Amino acid sequence: MAGQGIQRREILRILGTAAAVAQFPGFSKWTFACGHVGNAVLQIKPAVYNPQFFTAAEYALVERLSEMIIPSDSTPGAREAGVAEFIDFMVASDPDSQYAFRTGLTWMNAHSERLFGKPFVDLTPEQQTSLLEPLAYKNKTRPGEGDGRIFFRQIRAFTLNGFYTSEIGFKELDCPSLKMYAESPECPHKDDPEHLHVSHPIS
Amino acid sequence: MPKQMYDVIVIGTGAGGGMAIKTLCEAGLKVCALNAGRRLDPEKDFRFHRMPWEMKFRGFDDPKRRGESYGYLDNEYTKAAWEHEIPFTTAPGTKWMWPRCFSVGGKTNFWGRSSARFGDIDFRAASLDGYDVDWPITHDEIGPYYTRVEKMIGVASTVQNRPSNPDGSYLPPFHFRCLDRILEAGSNKVGVPYLPDRCAQLTQPHEGHPACHFCGECTTGCDVGAFFSTPYFLLPKAEATKNLELRTNALAKNILTDQNGHARGVAYIDRKSKQEVEVYGRAVVVAASCVESARILLNSKSRLHPNGVANSSGQLGRNLCDHLYGESVRGYLPQLVGRPPFPDHVGDSTIAWMPRWQNLKDPHEEKFIRGYSVYPDGGCQDFPGFASELDGFGSSYKREIKRRYPAPVSFGIQAPTLRSDTNYVDLDPEEKDPYGIPVARLHFQWDDNVLKMWDHSKQVCADVLRAAGGVVEDIGDEPEMPGFSLHETGTCRMGNDPKHFVTNRFGQTHDVPNLYVCDASVFLNCTDKTTTISILTFSLRTSEYLIENFRRGEHKAA
Repeated sequence: MAGQGIQRREILRILGTAAAVAQFPGFSKWTFACGHVGNAVLQIKPAVYNPQFFTAAEYALVERLSEMIIPSDSTPGAREAGVAEFIDFMVASDPDSQYAFRTGLTWMNAHSERLFGKPFVDLTPEQQTSLLEPLAYKNKTRPGEGDGRIFFRQIRAFTLNGFYTSEIGFKELDCPSLKMYAESPECPHKDDPEHLHVSHPIS
Repeated sequence: MPKQMYDVIVIGTGAGGGMAIKTLCEAGLKVCALNAGRRLDPEKDFRFHRMPWEMKFRGFDDPKRRGESYGYLDNEYTKAAWEHEIPFTTAPGTKWMWPRCFSVGGKTNFWGRSSARFGDIDFRAASLDGYDVDWPITHDEIGPYYTRVEKMIGVASTVQNRPSNPDGSYLPPFHFRCLDRILEAGSNKVGVPYLPDRCAQLTQPHEGHPACHFCGECTTGCDVGAFFSTPYFLLPKAEATKNLELRTNALAKNILTDQNGHARGVAYIDRKSKQEVEVYGRAVVVAASCVESARILLNSKSRLHPNGVANSSGQLGRNLCDHLYGESVRGYLPQLVGRPPFPDHVGDSTIAWMPRWQNLKDPHEEKFIRGYSVYPDGGCQDFPGFASELDGFGSSYKREIKRRYPAPVSFGIQAPTLRSDTNYVDLDPEEKDPYGIPVARLHFQWDDNVLKMWDHSKQVCADVLRAAGGVVEDIGDEPEMPGFSLHETGTCRMGNDPKHFVTNRFGQTHDVPNLYVCDASVFLNCTDKTTTISILTFSLRTSEYLIENFRRGEHKAA
């Protein structure tokens, strides 16, 4: 087993991936998104997704929240990575998280009705942002929103889990796990051990 | 029909058993090895460069399985390799996390690979600080065995001239990453060491094994065998001699003894047929890992061994030690915020270490005795775990995650407990496994000394991070649960006095001359170093002592 070259294994791996991914439930969108050539993603119209746990209304809210947390901007976001499907799948698989999600989503809509007289998904983007900000930033906290802050942390954690474990998420960070090296990579800043003068190209 | 008689029965195929099997087979002895699980197939069982999106639960594992997983290594990538059928219990008040790999090769398939020698500061610790007893061995005596093991398995490091860390024979070290250079500068300012770790990972081709390809996925199993594990490094050599019969799914139950109290073989459960089977040998090596070995020996009761075999001292199962693990400090390096990603994860745990610097000149210079080591880590990893601690959402949040991605750092402590009468393993008087064998019951608490080390490490690591220009975000609260480190030692301690020790200085049990122990259970405590390379080294020495006893005619056919 030690004599196998990487190339052969890589080919096996790639052959194995398509078949393996296709059998996972509820992953219609990100399965297609795995074919990371931009045009291919656009050309394949994802199948309509039927949530396993959430109601249609709940699922729409999960989609909207995950897309607000990791938006599609200059790079793909939660929508392209199929994060809402991932959340639905994980919550469906995890009875311990279901009560918190159901009550959390209910809280969000009740809060939205209280502030703006409409469910969250029917608000304008500006209203949605203004509702989330006090939940998301410590220095904008408002009294009486403790349950909302806890739920926001939870759905944000699930969104991070779904996004940054997708191939799109790995590409967003340019994660070095996709690569292999002939020798152990070395710090290139020999003359600046404390890194006081390195550039910071990602602003 | 005469019963098949082997020269040696070896229980276990991890570091200790694997080394014994190879050494004994190469000396021409006929060996029957018993392994409680199956053989692994790297193509099916290892991560195989599989990315999280190729996993049903993206590597987070089935949430419904949380209760049956015994630890972080026992995850969605490798769960099929870990033991879930044989339970264990804990005494009231004891917490114990116990991932066990019963597959062939044991935990060497997934180990952390840090490989520092024990030194005289460890062997003579009792003489220095007055606690407990010295080891019955010196570095002069064991050093040549370490050198042979280092050459056999390949350890990447440098000569460091540290008083607590004897140097050895090394492959070129891992290069330092940006974060290492920055933390090294901070450590220099504080006056603590920051050096290349001793990592059993092949930085160049070695003894017929390929060099590492630095994919950073070691702890889910290497698909080319570029770090030491017994299935890649030892078992093929043993099998080439034709002297090995390896029986898998063979769960050792007890040692069989004769009318003189000598070992005559092992009774095991064939987990496929669920039948009890006996196998006979002129000598028996127990290497099932610290707690399992104690369980097997304690379960080997007979007229001559009423409290378990090799237990006339009453010390079998006692003196359990473990490493306290925990994240002392977490934070980030502003110098690296906004930098392009760097492959920081390639070592997959140990590129640098901060080897013990406490109590070196004077054994009582700190508020605790002995000492601990620290493993720093950070940078770009598979998953941006720091993101859930950042405020916000939206494009600014997404951008901040990308900017912070290369910058996180953390410091993990490895601190030894002291031996104690109240930390031990025994057989649960009521609970049995599905085969009717009493299960191991753990009794364990952290001691004050190790908790003082934990507190000390938080202060020093925070100082280092700040001196490096970094930002401290979190100081460790609770350490990991006992058992987390997988470095338990001490249940069959070695020593010269049969009244107080289970084995002699060669790992041969005092009570039963043809019964040997080849795992970390013979160690007097766990020191500040990891255990695997020392298990290999002591097992090599014990195996050669055993071979010598065969040559001298001490172990004869019944």
